[in-house]
Amino acid sequence: MGWYILKRIVQTIPVIVFATLIIYALVFLRPGDPVLNLFGDKPVSEATRATIESQYNLDKPFIVQWLLFLKGAVTFDFGTSFSGQPVIDQIQRAFPVSVTLALMAVAFEAVFAIIIGTYAGIRRGGWFDGVSLVVSLVIVAVPIFVIGFLFQIFIGIKAGIDWLPATVGGDWTVTDLIMPAIVLGLTSLAFAMRLTRGSVSENLAADHVRTARAKGLSEGKVVRNHVLRNSLIPVVTFLGADLGTLMAGAIVTEGIFNIPGIGGLAYSAILKGESPTIVSVVTLMVLIYVVMSLLVDLLYAWLDPRIRYA
Amino acid sequence: MPENTPRRSTPRPGQERFVAPVEDTPLAAIDNVDIDVAPESQWKEAWKRMRRSPLFWTSLTILAFLAVMIAFPRLFTDADPRYAQLSDSLEPARPGHPFGFTKQGADVWARTVYGARASVAVGVLTTIIFVLVGVVTGAVAAYYGKFADTVISRTSDIFFSIPLLLGCIVVVSVINNTWPDRGFWGAVMVIVLALSLFAWPQITRQMRAAVLEVKNLEFVDAARAIGASSRANLIRHIVPNAIGPVIVTATISLGVFIVSEATLSFLGLGLPGSVMSWGNDIAAAEVQIRSGEHLRVLAVPSVALAVTVLGFILLGESVREALDPKARKK
Amino acid sequence: MNAATTAGSAPLLQIRDLDVAFRNEKKQPVPAVRGANLTVYEGQTVAIVGESGSGKSTTAHAIIGLLPGTGHVTGGEILFEGQDIAQARKQDIVALRGSSIGLVPQDPMSNLNPLWKVGHQIKEALVANGVATGKAADARVVELLEEAGLPDAARRAQQYPHEFSGGMRQRALIAMGLAARPKLLIADEPTSALDVTVQKQILDHLDTLTDELGVAVLLITHDLGLAAERADHLVVMYKGQIVESGPALEILQDPHHPYTQRLVASAPSLASQRLSSGKQRSEVREAAHKQARHGGGESAAVPADVGRASDDVIEVEGLTKVFTLPGKGPFGKTDFVAVDDLSFSLRRGTTTAIVGESGSGKSTVARMVLGLLEPTSGTVKLDGVDVAGVRRKEDRLRLRRTMQPVFQNPYASLDPLFTIYRSIEEPLRVHGIGTEKEREGRIRDLLEKVSLPTSVMRRFPHELSGGQRQRVAIARALALEPEVVICDEAVSALDVLVQAQILTLLNDLQAELGLSYLFITHDLAVVRQIADDVLVMQNGRVVEAASVEQVFSAPQQEYTRLLLEAIPGASIPLGVVEAGGSSAARIDLDD
Repeated sequence: MGWYILKRIVQTIPVIVFATLIIYALVFLRPGDPVLNLFGDKPVSEATRATIESQYNLDKPFIVQWLLFLKGAVTFDFGTSFSGQPVIDQIQRAFPVSVTLALMAVAFEAVFAIIIGTYAGIRRGGWFDGVSLVVSLVIVAVPIFVIGFLFQIFIGIKAGIDWLPATVGGDWTVTDLIMPAIVLGLTSLAFAMRLTRGSVSENLAADHVRTARAKGLSEGKVVRNHVLRNSLIPVVTFLGADLGTLMAGAIVTEGIFNIPGIGGLAYSAILKGESPTIVSVVTLMVLIYVVMSLLVDLLYAWLDPRIRYA
Repeated sequence: MPENTPRRSTPRPGQERFVAPVEDTPLAAIDNVDIDVAPESQWKEAWKRMRRSPLFWTSLTILAFLAVMIAFPRLFTDADPRYAQLSDSLEPARPGHPFGFTKQGADVWARTVYGARASVAVGVLTTIIFVLVGVVTGAVAAYYGKFADTVISRTSDIFFSIPLLLGCIVVVSVINNTWPDRGFWGAVMVIVLALSLFAWPQITRQMRAAVLEVKNLEFVDAARAIGASSRANLIRHIVPNAIGPVIVTATISLGVFIVSEATLSFLGLGLPGSVMSWGNDIAAAEVQIRSGEHLRVLAVPSVALAVTVLGFILLGESVREALDPKARKK
Repeated sequence: MNAATTAGSAPLLQIRDLDVAFRNEKKQPVPAVRGANLTVYEGQTVAIVGESGSGKSTTAHAIIGLLPGTGHVTGGEILFEGQDIAQARKQDIVALRGSSIGLVPQDPMSNLNPLWKVGHQIKEALVANGVATGKAADARVVELLEEAGLPDAARRAQQYPHEFSGGMRQRALIAMGLAARPKLLIADEPTSALDVTVQKQILDHLDTLTDELGVAVLLITHDLGLAAERADHLVVMYKGQIVESGPALEILQDPHHPYTQRLVASAPSLASQRLSSGKQRSEVREAAHKQARHGGGESAAVPADVGRASDDVIEVEGLTKVFTLPGKGPFGKTDFVAVDDLSFSLRRGTTTAIVGESGSGKSTVARMVLGLLEPTSGTVKLDGVDVAGVRRKEDRLRLRRTMQPVFQNPYASLDPLFTIYRSIEEPLRVHGIGTEKEREGRIRDLLEKVSLPTSVMRRFPHELSGGQRQRVAIARALALEPEVVICDEAVSALDVLVQAQILTLLNDLQAELGLSYLFITHDLAVVRQIADDVLVMQNGRVVEAASVEQVFSAPQQEYTRLLLEAIPGASIPLGVVEAGGSSAARIDLDD
């Protein structure tokens, strides 16, 4: 197992390195003069320009800039943004709310996907199954920002529930995030529910479930011990991977509910052309994705004794 | 009863020698072929199953309606979607303008009808490109293995590790700065390429897994033993047998891409404002409906978008059901 | 089994006029079992014999209330100790399961939950039936596993199913089925997924155990020989109906119903002799030689060598295949020798069988001979030409024409998207033989040769039965007029009667076309029907190589003897086969 983890970590290094290269190249290709941007298009003296260019390594070739960035990133030194803030400070400020939001969304997703999906899987072809199918398809079809607006208008504003505010803002509490978390988790909920449902109905027909019945187990025990546990393995791994996706995919939700998270940070950095921040945030996202998929693989091995990595 | 070797004692009640009359179960010839049945390919069989599915007919109705709307928008509205008069701003419905006017004073319904083209174009083109790239890379990786597999798999890992939305935003923002005025098709192609760039690994992985499974089946070995070249084998036998799941994913993804385009447009990094699209209209409507008034300005393009996406997803689901091997007889 | 004579007089299980049906897509009932009658007494072993689809498993599952999908009892009664369980409430059946009626299922690979330790799964049965709980149950689990013949039971109980071999899993399933000491044990094809030697061990053990415990056994099997060897009372099912029942030996030696007669005649373990006589065999060989000498341009690849090549069409020397598997540690690798220094030759116009259990390397040999897998070392010579040395494309194609395969799995050996016509046409097309019209003529001829109506040309594989697909596979193999056909378990997946039919077909084709067969199989009984020479393989090595008569009458090696003894029903004296006349004549090839 130790060897496997080491091997995986070694394998992920090129993924991270090349992913940052791609983003770095894209940002580098972006035309316009960052120094001019910094000074609001006012003329800049040659001397100031030279200081700034050397400060941000803008005077060096592209590959060197990228290597210098990588060198810093290893020690979590992501440099400073053009506005003079250390990027790591920006990330540190935005990170906690994004993590909380993603965790809450996954928790919401897990509970409802498993309950509804299991029931639909057991009663495959029944009315509950049919309704849950249609609802999940509609959820996937409606863009997340439309769902966000509707929640905001009907729950946040019209219903006027105090502890479910329409916008969150800088001083956020966990209850503030309930509604955004539901909105964020809804699309994945639909997918996870379909996955659970398929997995449960497939497992119900498995040979070993018949054997469990044949040895005299009650139906409840059969479902709990032999159907559910087997069915939830793919669902749990899906949810694990989704945690990473939701952190990166929260741009829209964070925008609608005015949450000062990583997504918002990335978005404003892109609009302003803050290359150091963009590259750092994307690198962070890739890192989270890579770590999550490693954890998911290990989780899989832990849940399923057949899987042993060597 | 014959007397030879009754090694055991006489049978007990209920276990006496019994021979059914031959007329009851007449002997059939061993393994005979039923000549009367008409031949049917798997695709035809799947099509037959699909025809029975209400999901399929619902989706087909939606998509047919959509196709007509894109081809002949004038059948649905007489209003000019680009004509806007500020005096009409947020005016309610009136004859000829069934859903009233936007903030800019344009006809909400007309903009929705004409906006279909861009949204569907993005969905269809992205799907074509990402399926082509994914199928070729996935099949090559799995079939030829070794070096090709390593290169393709690692490359797809890299692109897969960058979040789709974030990646697209970066790409579009870069292009926005380099090529601001790019017309309708230019704008559409930028979104298409941005989405395909980060989405293709999904199909690659799926195709790779499917080909790995099919390539070990015996009919592939049989074809090799005949002397068929390995490329002919891949194209004639393996890819057609591995493509089923990809078709399902592709159809559902088509819907998801339309949603993604709308999301990008909503963030201001999708189609430029000059291009009429549902995403742009929804984004523009957001500002007004924060207060909860004039909901229809938001609702009309949103419903159009959702119904369209639903049409594609339903099609995907019905294809999935039709291709499900468990649904097949025997 | 002899406990039967000492048991009480009331039947333990009595099935009267049982009807079982499934519902089709249009919700109409499709009968699966019709009017079945069956009686089992305490301590007795009763066997239900039938082909796939005969309703034997459905009957068994109806007894324990576990019919799959839409299956339901539509009529009749199932009396267990006098009580009708066909109409019982659900919780009453649940109460019966495990404690009164146990089940040993068919496939040991899929019948244990992969996520729970084996011991835990047996413990569940004890707890659910109120036999024992807690520590006492744990101790009992170990006893039960020991009882089922599993060595090192205490450690094994703590392992997961994937750490068990197939035979060990089946022992665990037997322990599970007997855990709560049921009065009746339903054994549904308990060993059909296992190697013959393992099968024999496990069945012997099951016999002893059920005898000791006085458990009645309802044995479901497709193998008439096995049923006759193990059961007191025999029930033969055909198309959902019981066609004949009675004392096992009596039925076997004097079958009355024509279906039973057919079954007895075709069972390879019972009816074993070469399908064609010695005289016919020598004629075949002569014809094959003649063809090799004068016959078409294809086989004249090595004109200089005709004299030498004429006797052995395939010569294999020192064939070895080593697979490199990942081992311990990051860079660890271990070598696995799948085939170890194998040499043999296939005489023209004869059949050489390679027999072995799973993992013996026999299929690896087939793939190497076919050139689908590169040997690590050693040579394969076809008509005296080293296959590995062939580089030019036309030479390779010529090689392909000389040698064609027929594979095991009738469901995977034809491309499901190709019509039968295209499947058989493919080899002709690849080799550029004939015009479209000529090819169609050829395909018609080939279908006729394998006794299929030409109307199947437009069909797709999934519309044909397993046996019919194998016929198509044979037609495809013959399309290029090969000299050698390599049959890799070509009849293993088929029902007994269909298997006999295909064997007869292969035999007739050999006589007609002077073919040479390399016949890979796990089933020694089949070998006797089709082969002239045998190679017995074990763990990649040849254990014994001799003629069929020698191997069957005087096996030299212990392992060969073991294999022979394990053929179910081999020891049963038969009256009918001699009386029934030569085997090929019995089988109806017409459609």
